[in-house]
Formats: sequence, structure tokens, C-alpha cells
Amino acid sequence: MKVLVVEDEQGLAESITDYMVKDGYICETAATFRDAEEKIHLYTYDCVIVDLTLPDGNGFQIIETLKRLIATTGVIIISARNALEDKLKGLEIGSDDYLTKPFHLSELNARVKSLLRRRQFGGHTEIRFQEIVVVPHTRKVFVNGQLTTLSRKEYDLLLYFLSNVDVALTKASIAEHLWGDNIDSADSFDMVYSHIKNLRRKLLEKGAADYVQSIYGIGYKFCQP
Amino acid sequence: MKLLTKTNQIYLTFSLVIYLLTALAFYQIIRLLIYDEVESRLKVERRDFETYVRKHNAWTSAPYFVENKIEVIPVSKRVPIREAFKDTLIENRYDGELIPFRQLTFYEPIHGVIHRVSIRKSLIQTYRLIEVISVAMVLFLGLLLLGMFWFQRKLSGRLWLPFYGTLARIKQFDLNNDTSLQLSKSEITEFNELNDVLQKMAAKMQQDYQSLKEFTENASHEMQTPLALINAKVEQLIQTEQLTETQTNWIESIYQASRRISRLNQGLLLLAKIENRQFSDTQSVDLSALLTEKLTDMEEVLSFKQLSINLQTTAPFAVQLPASLADSLVTNLVNNAIKHNQPNGRIELTSTADQLCLSNTGGQLISDPERLFERFKKESTGPDSVGLGLAIVRQICDSYGLHIAYRETGGIHEFCISHVLT
Repeated sequence: MKVLVVEDEQGLAESITDYMVKDGYICETAATFRDAEEKIHLYTYDCVIVDLTLPDGNGFQIIETLKRLIATTGVIIISARNALEDKLKGLEIGSDDYLTKPFHLSELNARVKSLLRRRQFGGHTEIRFQEIVVVPHTRKVFVNGQLTTLSRKEYDLLLYFLSNVDVALTKASIAEHLWGDNIDSADSFDMVYSHIKNLRRKLLEKGAADYVQSIYGIGYKFCQP
Repeated sequence: MKLLTKTNQIYLTFSLVIYLLTALAFYQIIRLLIYDEVESRLKVERRDFETYVRKHNAWTSAPYFVENKIEVIPVSKRVPIREAFKDTLIENRYDGELIPFRQLTFYEPIHGVIHRVSIRKSLIQTYRLIEVISVAMVLFLGLLLLGMFWFQRKLSGRLWLPFYGTLARIKQFDLNNDTSLQLSKSEITEFNELNDVLQKMAAKMQQDYQSLKEFTENASHEMQTPLALINAKVEQLIQTEQLTETQTNWIESIYQASRRISRLNQGLLLLAKIENRQFSDTQSVDLSALLTEKLTDMEEVLSFKQLSINLQTTAPFAVQLPASLADSLVTNLVNNAIKHNQPNGRIELTSTADQLCLSNTGGQLISDPERLFERFKKESTGPDSVGLGLAIVRQICDSYGLHIAYRETGGIHEFCISHVLT
């Protein structure tokens, strides 16, 4: 999988690529509009992450060019601009997602994965992790071949974990992933806890190993016990 | 009360008093003059009478003396011999009407007997004179008063015209608008000075406002990227395996602080944008449906906090708002109702065509209810609140012709939105 990160803030671009590379992606970065234009003309990417405000141009133009060249490439906009018009315009010209800065790397990762899944297999691919199988297009979860009924939030939570295996996820990022940007209180962390408890219980009941590990003070990690 | 009405009122009252006093004085003077005249004529007649009596030592009512004009009565008793003027009413013998007379009474010996002599003169003509003069005077003074009043009104209306013009312009002046305050020149120096001062003030205000506006927006935008960087780096740091507990705590604090700044930043940016009226695509939004939807979305949060909902939406409450602001308004209201609730509490939504009320149970308000909508006014001291939610709600309402009121009765906190009647 090849991902292009178009972001002028060097440190942020680095963080994103580091995070992606760990997950087995091939990542390239472009810091300017001209760099980005050149790269999309030369190579093919599965997904492009674009910042809207670049020193020498506008991210919207890159998306337009990209869509003209290869319409199947997934596009995620990352921008400090959170105006509705920008979001609508972005989606209108063919981007698949819009993330407002600052965002969680884990959230970006989850969105990239879900985007690639949709793009490449029409969502008809299964996500496998040991004895857990998730079929995204039917929203069904199997553990050791047995159907496991999860609530909507538990399902979202599991998918979020599966998109970020072996990665420490903060409670805040989980809460925001499940309830959106607006849920922002100490209570939401308690809710995260209760959802994780339920998910864990349901998975254990069907004979799965305990993959959810809690990290003191930070959050949780989905990994081999 | 208007300035002109007030000055006219004072002017009118003052003139009326002065005119009344003048009329009274005038009346008295005329009366005095007439009495003086009548009395001197009475004195002349007395001299005539005395001369006649001394000459003839007798008195007969001469034919030219009309009855009642001179009355001579002998008085037996001793009376103080002095003369006196007095007003009297005498009955007219023809029609029995009482007619005012001025009478001079004196005592005169005729044939050695003291007689009381009363000489009278009718005041009927002089009374008419007084009447006519009074009426004429009242009439002319009244006309003068009315004339002065009318003139005064016209004049001051004209003189104050530039002032009212300035007032109207200031009322129309909009800080958000790019057009500067334009005031017309007048002939009056004071008004010109006033206009100059106002124009300078308005220009300064506009300039300050613009720079503040730009500053907030730029600052907010420029802050988001470094914040994203901090967040990303902290997230990377979290992935490191060999962190001690102290380090984890530090990282957690940094992470929370940066996220708080970012929320604050977004809130302030939103406020600045609403203030600057950067949202233009208003559309009709049914707030009650939107609130119901939002409450349904928050179902899990509500059940986690053991809050029950009661919806009484009898009619949709339609408002004209940009879609994103309607969402922001509703989200902030619902978040507020959830955040400041208590376990096993309630949230109630009632909506009619005129009013939309969202109420929640909760603890006593610590701060002044008047200041609840102010920026950075926090009820809880928790790190999760930045204190902008209600300020945003208020700002949206203020900017789009809505009125929001807060009420607290017996532990029920109620926020009601209604249309501002124009």
C-alpha cells in the first residue's frame, strides 16, 4: 500500500509517516504544492493525505488533479480549517474524508484503513486477527467461527482496535472516535471504560484470548497477550 | 421624552405663568385707574353737594338727580364723622337687577341735624370696560403665546435637525460593516465638533475591531498546526515501550493540556467567526427536531449517566440559521444539559412554535446566573471544560435574532430559546 502525505509542517509529516510505516505502508511525503503535483504525476498511490493550506498552493487543486489522473485513489483532507464549506467543497471534488487538525494519529490510521478497504475491496474483505474475524460490509464479528453480537459502539471500538493493533490508544482518541469531536468530558472516559469492559467480556465469552491491555494513565492497547 | 418636547414643555409652562401674572397685574392696574377716576368724580360731586347745602341750608332732590344717586338720611345718634368709599350693589328699580356702584359716604349737618349723605356712581360701564380689556388681553396674549410656541418649535426643530441626523446615522452604524461612519456638516459649530469626535471614535473602533478580528482568526489558525504536531509527537511518544510511570503522567498532562488548548482555540475561532458574520447560508432549521436527533445520538451517554429524557414537542420550532451553527448550538446545549446533570437525573425538551426549552436537573448554581453565558465562565473546575459552550450558544442566538433565557427553579435548570420580536 502506498500513501502520500502532503503536509508542509515537517514534524507532523514525519509523525504520520512513522505511524504508517509501522503498519506496513509505504509512505512518501511532499512538503510543497509543486512537490505533490510532481509526485502524483509520476507515481500511483492508494491513498493521499492532503493538507489544504500549503505554502505555494491550495490542497484542493491537488485533489482535483489527482482525481483527473486516477479516480480510484483515496483522498483524506487534513486541515486546520474546520468550516463546513471547506468540508463540503472537499467532499464535492472527490475527497473521501476530512479530518480537522489537531487529530489523533490513530484516528487518521483507522480512517485510512477503512478508506482503503472500501476502495479496494468494496468493503467485502474480512479483517482477521487471530481467532477474530470481522466482516465489515455486514458488520458481523466472528470469534472462533461463532457469531458474536456486539452493540454498534462495541463494533466500532473493535474495528478501531483492529486498525491500530499493537498501538497504544489514548482514552481521548477512543472517546472521540466513538462519539465524535463534541464528546469531551471526564465522563466519556468512564464510558470508554465500560464499553471496553463489555467488548472484552463478549470476546472472552466466545473463547478469544484477552487482547485488550490497559496502559496505566494513557489508555488501551490491542495486542497479543 | 424627546429633547424638543421637553424644552417646549418647559417653555410653554414658563410663558403661561408669566402671561397669567401679567394679565393679573394688568387687570389690577386698570381697576385701580378706574376706581381712582370714579372716586375723584365722587369727590367733585361731594363738593357740589356741600356748596349747595351751605348756600341753601337745605337739600331737595333736584330733578336732574336720578334716584339712588344721592341718598340723604338724617342720623340721630352720634357717629364718627368720617368719609368712606365702598363698593355696593343696588337693585335696579326697573328690572330688579343688582348693579355695582361705588359709593362715597360722608356726614353733613343740614338745619343743624347731622345727615348721612351717600353719593353713588354706577360702575356698570367701567365693568364692561374691564371685561373688554381683559378679553382682548387674554386673546392677544394667548395668540402671542401660541405664536411663540409654534415659532419656537419650528426653530428648534430646524436647529436640532443635524443632531437628529447624526443620531440616526450612529444608530445605523454597524461595526462589522466596512463602510465608515459618514456624518453631514452643519452650520452649528458644536454639532460639527460632535460629529468630528464621533467620526474619529467610530473609525478607531472599526480599526481596532478589524485588527482584533484578523488577529483572532490568524492566531487560531496558526495555532492548530503546532498543536497537531504536539499531539502527534505525544502519541508517538506514548508508543514507546520503556516509559516509567512518572513519564507516563507527564505525557498524559502534556497531551491533555494540548487538547484543551486546541478545543479552546476552536471555540474562540467559532465565536470570532459568528461575531464577524462569516456564516451566510442561513436556512430554515427545525431546532426541536435537531435537538431530538442529538439526544437520540447521545443515547449511550445518557444511559451511562442514567439520565432519562422526556420529549414534549408539540410543534416544530423553526429558526433561520446556518446549518453548522444550528448543529453547534444544539450540541452545546445538549452537552451542557448532560455535563451539569446528576445521576438519575432528567432532561426535558418542550417545544412550541414560539419557544423551545431544554431543561435538566442539576446541582445548585455556584456562580451568578447573569454571568452564565459569559466566556470562560465555568461552573465546574474540571479540566474538561473550557467554558465556551454557553458563550457560543448566546453568540449564535444574539447574531440570528433569537433570545435565550436561563431559569432555575428547584434544581431544574432551564434554557429557553424564543424569537426576538421585531
